[in-house]
Amino acid sequence: MVEKNAVSEVRTKPIPVADETSAPFWQAARDRRLVVQRCSACGYYNHPPRRVCDACLSQDLTFAPVSGKGKIFSFTIMHQRDVVGFENEAPFINLVVELDEQPLLLMVSDRPLTERDRVRIGAAVEVYFEDRGDGSMIPEFLIK
Amino acid sequence: MWSGRGRTAIVGIGYSEITRRPQKPLGLLAIDACRAALADSGLRAEQIDGLATYPESPFAGAGNRDGEDVVSVMYIVNHLALASDIRWYAQIEMGMIASPVIEGVNALIAGACDYVLVWRALHRPIARGSGGKNSGPPRAAGDAQFMATYGCSSIVQWHALAWQRYMHRYGATREALAALALNSRRNANLNPRAFFYKDPMTRDDYLNSRWIAEPLCLYDCDVPIDGCVAMILTTADRARDLKNPPAYIAGYGQNTAPRRTLFHYALDDYMECGGSLARKLWSSAGLGPRDMDAAQLYDGFNPSTLYWLEAAGFCGRGEGGSFVQNGRIALTGELPVNTFGGSLSEGRMHGMGHIAEAVRQVTGRADQRQIPGAQVACAIDGSPMLRGSGIVVTQSPS
Repeated sequence: MVEKNAVSEVRTKPIPVADETSAPFWQAARDRRLVVQRCSACGYYNHPPRRVCDACLSQDLTFAPVSGKGKIFSFTIMHQRDVVGFENEAPFINLVVELDEQPLLLMVSDRPLTERDRVRIGAAVEVYFEDRGDGSMIPEFLIK
Repeated sequence: MWSGRGRTAIVGIGYSEITRRPQKPLGLLAIDACRAALADSGLRAEQIDGLATYPESPFAGAGNRDGEDVVSVMYIVNHLALASDIRWYAQIEMGMIASPVIEGVNALIAGACDYVLVWRALHRPIARGSGGKNSGPPRAAGDAQFMATYGCSSIVQWHALAWQRYMHRYGATREALAALALNSRRNANLNPRAFFYKDPMTRDDYLNSRWIAEPLCLYDCDVPIDGCVAMILTTADRARDLKNPPAYIAGYGQNTAPRRTLFHYALDDYMECGGSLARKLWSSAGLGPRDMDAAQLYDGFNPSTLYWLEAAGFCGRGEGGSFVQNGRIALTGELPVNTFGGSLSEGRMHGMGHIAEAVRQVTGRADQRQIPGAQVACAIDGSPMLRGSGIVVTQSPS
């Protein structure tokens, strides 16, 4: 459901709050490294990170580096101007990328509308890290 | 087949005004709907000894003030002169709107009560500030860490991502969604309760409407309203004594989801969840898609109807886009869909309008929208990912 565009005050982009489970992910991001939680029992990559492996229910999960490479899985262009922290960005693009390491290992990214012509399902992407200047280092994906 | 088939029935329906300019708080709209359902059934309020609802206000930042944002069981107990001893109630947290109907059905079969009142009250989302200027940067915790951080935090965006995949995988175009939206609007133009009753829509209106989360446009989103729909259920034997033809409940189903964390973008997850509900629905009713004279399929966002057509077996995977063309889903078509206008055009009743219309069609009470000879209809809610529920209603108990 959709309400008419409510022009709200401009906020800064939301800062992710690391918790016990996700802390290693954000710690690595601060060092410009992309890691994904991986099950020690079966090798399955789990994202977002969690307590129990989706594939085998093991609780023995750790974080492993990944290549940072993937492909665009899907995308949308958000035209509403009331997304918290993105009021000045709209319309903007959200990508979902599928990492090369595993089918349906998905992460989100945001891109400016100027990159629209490069966006298509299957296009190659690579991770980089954006210093948002608010204390958070955020993995984003560049379209190659 | 389920042993409860045909043992319970829906015997009355009531609506409040469906509006974007409510003159009353939500609780008073709910009282209107409940009173209307009582009047429709011919029952007296003091005969109601069972209550069920799904009260959640389903939008981000929703309030939960009773009588304003939600209408709880206790609100209705306190504001209607029901049975002095309420014998049974259920306030569902997880599920969708058919879930309290299902709970009521089970309670009746168990002999827990005699007459169940079910209602769904919906409140328009009010744009709320996310905090004062001095509240600091917004924080994204839990799953939002990986979504709100990127501005990808609303359901319309998640649906847009799945629909983008659908179009890519099957070569579908906007024509698929246009056909559904136009069909619903045409039907709403025959539904005096519908928000868009007096507003026809052309194909150009649809295609030229503004993007919300591209590739979903304004008319791919249900229209937020304030309103309430209520209905009354009882056992089949009691139903036969009442003034309306009963709509017997032949079967029901609820979603389970695949045992993996669902991230909101995978089309396959929608299909798997939908299929899980449909299997149970058809098996309990001993019926299938081909037996339906009408299908009321959830349309909080337009693509959901297409996903249900495929996941519930009305057509094959990837065939939905062509299935909905050329009048096949019209009132006069092979499979009338959302004959009341859906959430898209009647108003965002979160699936309750779908159940009400299924009841009307099989009891010959759908007025100008009546499908001649309709005897069997389904009402299925859910996106269909994560949670959903559905029922099949029939004119005859067996």
